[in-house]
Amino acid sequence: MGPKAIEKKRKVQDPEPESDDEIAPDFDGALSQSEDEFDSDFDDNEHEQDGEQESGSEASDDEDEEGSLLSDDIPSDAEGDKAMGKLVLEDEEEELKIEIPGVDPKRPEKDDGEKNYRIEKDANGNERYVYDEIDPVYDSDDSDAQEAPNTIGNIPMSFYDSYPHIGYDINGKKIMRPATGDALDALLDSIEVPKGWTGLTDIHTGNPLNLNDDELELVRRVQMGMIPNELENPYPETVEYFTGIEEKMPLSAAPEPKRRFLPSKNEAKKIMKLVRAIREGRILPYKPPEEREKEEEEEEQYFDIWQDEVPQEVNPLHIPAPKLPPPGFDMSYNPPAEYLPTKEEREEWEKLDPEEREKEYLPQKYDSLRKVPGYGEVVKERFERCMDLYLAPRVRKNRLNIDPNSLLPKLPSPSELKPFPTVAQTVFRGHDGRVRSVAIDPTGVAVASGGDDGTVRVWELLTGRQVWSVKLSSEEAVNTVRWRPAKDSFILSAAVGEDIYLMVPTHASVTPALDQASRDILSAGFGYATNGQQHGAAPGKEPPAKWARPGAKLEDEGVLIRITVRSTVKVINWHRKGDHFATVSPSGQRSSVAIHTLSKHLTQIPFRKLSGLAQTASFHPLRPLFFVATQRTIRCYDLQKLELVKVVQPGAKWISSFDIHPGGDNLIVGSYDKRLLWHDLDLSIRPYKTMRFHSEAVRQVKYHKGGLPLFADASDDGTLQIFHGKVPNDQLENPTIVPVKVLKGHKVVNKLGVLDMDWHPREPWCVSAGADGTIRLWM
Amino acid sequence: MPKIKKKGQAGAAKNYITRTQAVKKLQLSLPDFRKLCIWKGIYPREPRNKKKVSKSATASTTFYYTKDIQYLLHEPLLQKFRDQKVLEKKISRALGRGDVSDAARFERHAARPEATGKPRYTLNHVIRERYPTFNDALRDLDDCLSMLFLFANLPSTSAVPAKMIARCERLCLEFQHYLIVSHSLRKSFLSIKGIYYQANIQGEDILWLVPYKFNQRIVGDVDFRIMGTFVEFYMTLLGFVNYRLYSSIGLKYPPKFDQLKDENGAELGAFSLEGVNMATQGETKAVTNGEEQQGPDPKVQAEVDKIIKQLKEDESKSDETAEGDAEADDEEKPTDSIDKFEPVAPGGDVLPQPAYSSNDPSQLFANFTFYLSRETPRQPLEFILRAFGCKRIGWDSVLGEGAFTNDESDPSITHHIIDRPVVQAATNEDGDGEDNQTAQKVGPNQRYPGRIYVQPQWVWDCVNDEELKSPELYAPGAALPPHLSPFVKAAPGQYDPTLPLEAQQTEAEAIEADLEDAEKDGAEEGSDVENDMDVDEAEDDEEEEEGDEEDAEEAEEEDAEEDEEESKTLQRQLELEAELQGKKVQNKKVDPKTKAKLEQRKTLEKKAREEAEDLERAKGMLSKKKRKLFEQMQYTNNKKSAQDEKLRAKRRKLEKEKAQKA
Repeated sequence: MGPKAIEKKRKVQDPEPESDDEIAPDFDGALSQSEDEFDSDFDDNEHEQDGEQESGSEASDDEDEEGSLLSDDIPSDAEGDKAMGKLVLEDEEEELKIEIPGVDPKRPEKDDGEKNYRIEKDANGNERYVYDEIDPVYDSDDSDAQEAPNTIGNIPMSFYDSYPHIGYDINGKKIMRPATGDALDALLDSIEVPKGWTGLTDIHTGNPLNLNDDELELVRRVQMGMIPNELENPYPETVEYFTGIEEKMPLSAAPEPKRRFLPSKNEAKKIMKLVRAIREGRILPYKPPEEREKEEEEEEQYFDIWQDEVPQEVNPLHIPAPKLPPPGFDMSYNPPAEYLPTKEEREEWEKLDPEEREKEYLPQKYDSLRKVPGYGEVVKERFERCMDLYLAPRVRKNRLNIDPNSLLPKLPSPSELKPFPTVAQTVFRGHDGRVRSVAIDPTGVAVASGGDDGTVRVWELLTGRQVWSVKLSSEEAVNTVRWRPAKDSFILSAAVGEDIYLMVPTHASVTPALDQASRDILSAGFGYATNGQQHGAAPGKEPPAKWARPGAKLEDEGVLIRITVRSTVKVINWHRKGDHFATVSPSGQRSSVAIHTLSKHLTQIPFRKLSGLAQTASFHPLRPLFFVATQRTIRCYDLQKLELVKVVQPGAKWISSFDIHPGGDNLIVGSYDKRLLWHDLDLSIRPYKTMRFHSEAVRQVKYHKGGLPLFADASDDGTLQIFHGKVPNDQLENPTIVPVKVLKGHKVVNKLGVLDMDWHPREPWCVSAGADGTIRLWM
Repeated sequence: MPKIKKKGQAGAAKNYITRTQAVKKLQLSLPDFRKLCIWKGIYPREPRNKKKVSKSATASTTFYYTKDIQYLLHEPLLQKFRDQKVLEKKISRALGRGDVSDAARFERHAARPEATGKPRYTLNHVIRERYPTFNDALRDLDDCLSMLFLFANLPSTSAVPAKMIARCERLCLEFQHYLIVSHSLRKSFLSIKGIYYQANIQGEDILWLVPYKFNQRIVGDVDFRIMGTFVEFYMTLLGFVNYRLYSSIGLKYPPKFDQLKDENGAELGAFSLEGVNMATQGETKAVTNGEEQQGPDPKVQAEVDKIIKQLKEDESKSDETAEGDAEADDEEKPTDSIDKFEPVAPGGDVLPQPAYSSNDPSQLFANFTFYLSRETPRQPLEFILRAFGCKRIGWDSVLGEGAFTNDESDPSITHHIIDRPVVQAATNEDGDGEDNQTAQKVGPNQRYPGRIYVQPQWVWDCVNDEELKSPELYAPGAALPPHLSPFVKAAPGQYDPTLPLEAQQTEAEAIEADLEDAEKDGAEEGSDVENDMDVDEAEDDEEEEEGDEEDAEEAEEEDAEEDEEESKTLQRQLELEAELQGKKVQNKKVDPKTKAKLEQRKTLEKKAREEAEDLERAKGMLSKKKRKLFEQMQYTNNKKSAQDEKLRAKRRKLEKEKAQKA
């Protein structure tokens, strides 16, 4: 079948040139047509490319087309139409004219087996071979398509299943289905397998598809991924003898020098040198491998490197690597049972990240050595050690190898420090709103208090019974209450707003004589007041304070004098003798500090100008000194010489209160920034001790005035703290300060806790005024 | 006007240098720099203030001393690194050209320590620099030995060449030989990580870890190049140390190495030690098991030399005391050995003195012949036995060459180390089992007569306690006593498993424990049926009590007092009710003993509370700095004591369980 098909192919090819004649007339026009199209295309291109070539008008273009066709032919041929070849390029126009139509007429010549060239004369009259056009026969590839005898196209053959034919040939005749071999045929087929039998059926013809040797080879090569045609290698290896491009014109016409053809003397010399060296054994051309290996295996030469060792001083900057800690009991393969982790410990250990584990191993017990497995992390641990050795910065850390208890100061035991108040003995209830101030009278039997409800109340100290009360104001709070310190009277002072009241409360301990004495003391100054005003103060100028009687209603209650100053009084402090008292009204600019003389009903303002807001002021318990606390500092003035003696700087941000030790040399300062500061006035202007035990502001600080080494502070955190503060008689010794007790009991209301406190004049008792409306007696 | 100081011109900024700067300055690659740092022992420093040091905005992490780096500039190794770099470049260029033969030639010249285990450069000068004296080197030997012993056991890979491993192994074995000959091994400990050894060489304690002979699991990011660099250095170091050690006891270094024996697994036996001058000495024979003793013992020789020297000195000195050397020799021969101080009069304190030579621990096993059963680890046992004076060790032939005998039935064997479980079936068949020491035929569970059978731990415990332990405790199949670390020094107040519990527990703990016991007893008396429940209850009680304790700590004194009062009032109430109902007062069944204990506990608690209050007061008087310090110290102390307490509690529980079982 195969050979037949080839024959057929040849037959199909053969008639082609013959039919050319018939087709030629038609073809000519078609060709020119195509050329026209091409040319116009080309022209367009040219117009686009060349700005110089101006097309006059599009209309004339068509007319020119025929005429310019020939002149344009040359470039178009040369550049565009490869099929025309170079030959045309050199020819004249006339020849060209012949050439183009002449392609076809010459074809028969070639087919007849004659020479495929013509001999012509060139410009010089020499012979010139003009070869025929090569017809590439482009449509030869289509032979397969033409060959297909069945014209039904690409439809499933199953459509013809019910028909006796399987399609139509090119002439419209039915192609009959070849008889499908019956059993005998099949048998025959199977017996004598024809050469090239594939077992396939050509779907178009229905015949068994056989392949010849060439085709099989072709299939095989395609399958192998080789080039289908074995004779043809599209990629031959380039053999470049000199260069790829043959130079038509050599650069140098000089003949090859002779030395190119002679062996090099220099090389010969070098080689001879080597040869001589080898002969003499200087060079071993080949070293046996064993020898080389031996050389490599040669042991390192060890010697006593420390033969002349000189101990060097250790560089202090060098920190030797710390050694790894030795293994403990729990690392044993057979540790005591108590070292083994419990189930929970094991789970916890396993849950943790490997980095977070305290130990990288879990203690384990093996009852015999042979059961001990290899430890998986040995290499890793060693690697980590290596990393530590060369990557970890080393820092020398001094480890304090001391007993931590040696750091603690030796404190006397609390039992030695007794007595001090420990429990709340009595709670005084009655005030409506905060209790702002509290004071114990100099005899130690009554407690006076003043609060937000504008009343001053006097209580029995031990029982907590209220014995006397007076309402001084309905709007303003009683800011402070203080007793006159002298025991010859029973006089209470209280400050409400801008008024200071002096009163004689009734109390069981007050005898009529004492009451009368007190009233006398208070009223003694009235004569002075009128006189003093006449010649004391300049006329027209407003006096710093007005001393007057408060009115009949209050006088009946026992309130005898009202002193009105210019601004709200917050603090009253009596001189120890009871004739003077100082008031501080922080908001009053110039007149914030005033000293009042009771016997003369006189008010003086000692400071023209004060640096900072005055917070509190106090007299020195022994000497004629006067202390004024501003926000940051405490100034000490000599009242006789009228000069500044000292400025104490506690370093607190805002001083709330201070108190002077009855000995006169020490000072405690409380501040709103939670600190309690102890100053030794002889030592320094800076604090000797700073105590920060409160979590809130310290409101009031007080020394015990009756000879006990105690002091206390009251704070907004609702606690009082009692300290033992012993000032030794020896000047050289430092005072000992020991915190002894925290008294808790007051509730914190609106961030205010304990607002004021006062010590009993003799006993180790104290009272405190709380923002929760209670007063407590601690003993 | 003073000179204006520019920032970064002096001080910390000049003293420190970042790693990148250092690498740039030395013109090295980072791996080379790393190598150099490892060998020269240069490590990063932590500047006091990092901000002052680094000029860049980004925080650098590693800083070195500028001086350290400057000092590296003159390092001869630097040139080697550069040469190597040039060579590498040449090779790669040759390969790029396709000139394979050229590349091969270069390659041959290249030093490839990672392939051959042997570089072309030596680190001798580095060793000398880092360790100016021999003692300095010994001080740093811990890591070196741990590393080399680990590598000696590693499988060879592309990162760890076989030759390197072989060298490590040889060096380690040589070092072990020194320890054996000089008897300087002191302690050893079987841990879960491996075997720890401690040797004392020239007064330096050296501790190292040898992993068990298993294939090492290499987990994750372990960079063997870094390890290799360390190993390279350590190999050189140990080589020199070995040389010095060998020559210090008059031996030649390196010792003769028998390749054949080594291939047969002789390990220690593959080496034969030689004296420097004359010949081998006593120990050599022991080690090699069979060579003839050819020379005097160097130790003996040294002793003799010493005596001769002293004699000479004596002669020169004793010109004035010319009465007679002999007499002086007899009466008061000055010796180097320590004199024994014995208290003459009673009442003086006894000071610890080094052990006297009468029972020299180094000769602990000198008179014994050991046989190692084939399931025992031969290498550590052989090493440790030899180091403590044993001369004849036999083992099964599967364990390698070099044994004194491979014959298990050798009559000279005195100790047999065995790590096998007692086979139950065999004893049943045999009937008489262990007792039948006279049986001639040896079955799976049978024993040779006249021999002590012990488990391997016996050897370690003997060595650590420097005395022969009773072998009954360590008999095959017996539950071994716990193996304790000999490196833990007993500190006062710390938990010590060797002491009885009573000696270490605090008062409170003791009372607590007693109370628990009492409660349990009471419960048991009450009902035997609920016995099983008791344990649970007791545990619950424990927990509750713990909770109570915590509460109590928080609570104030007053609460305690109130409690007391409350309990009293309750009691009274009960009494009253009882009276009303006409019953007898039902006293709670409280043992008077328990009651006393309870009271004791109460007082203790009160005391503790008071103490805590005192402490709080005292702490208040400290400055902030000191208080912080104090709190820190107390934190660690508390942690330690909590751990100890936990251990004690566990032990108490265990002991109780044991008692219950018994």
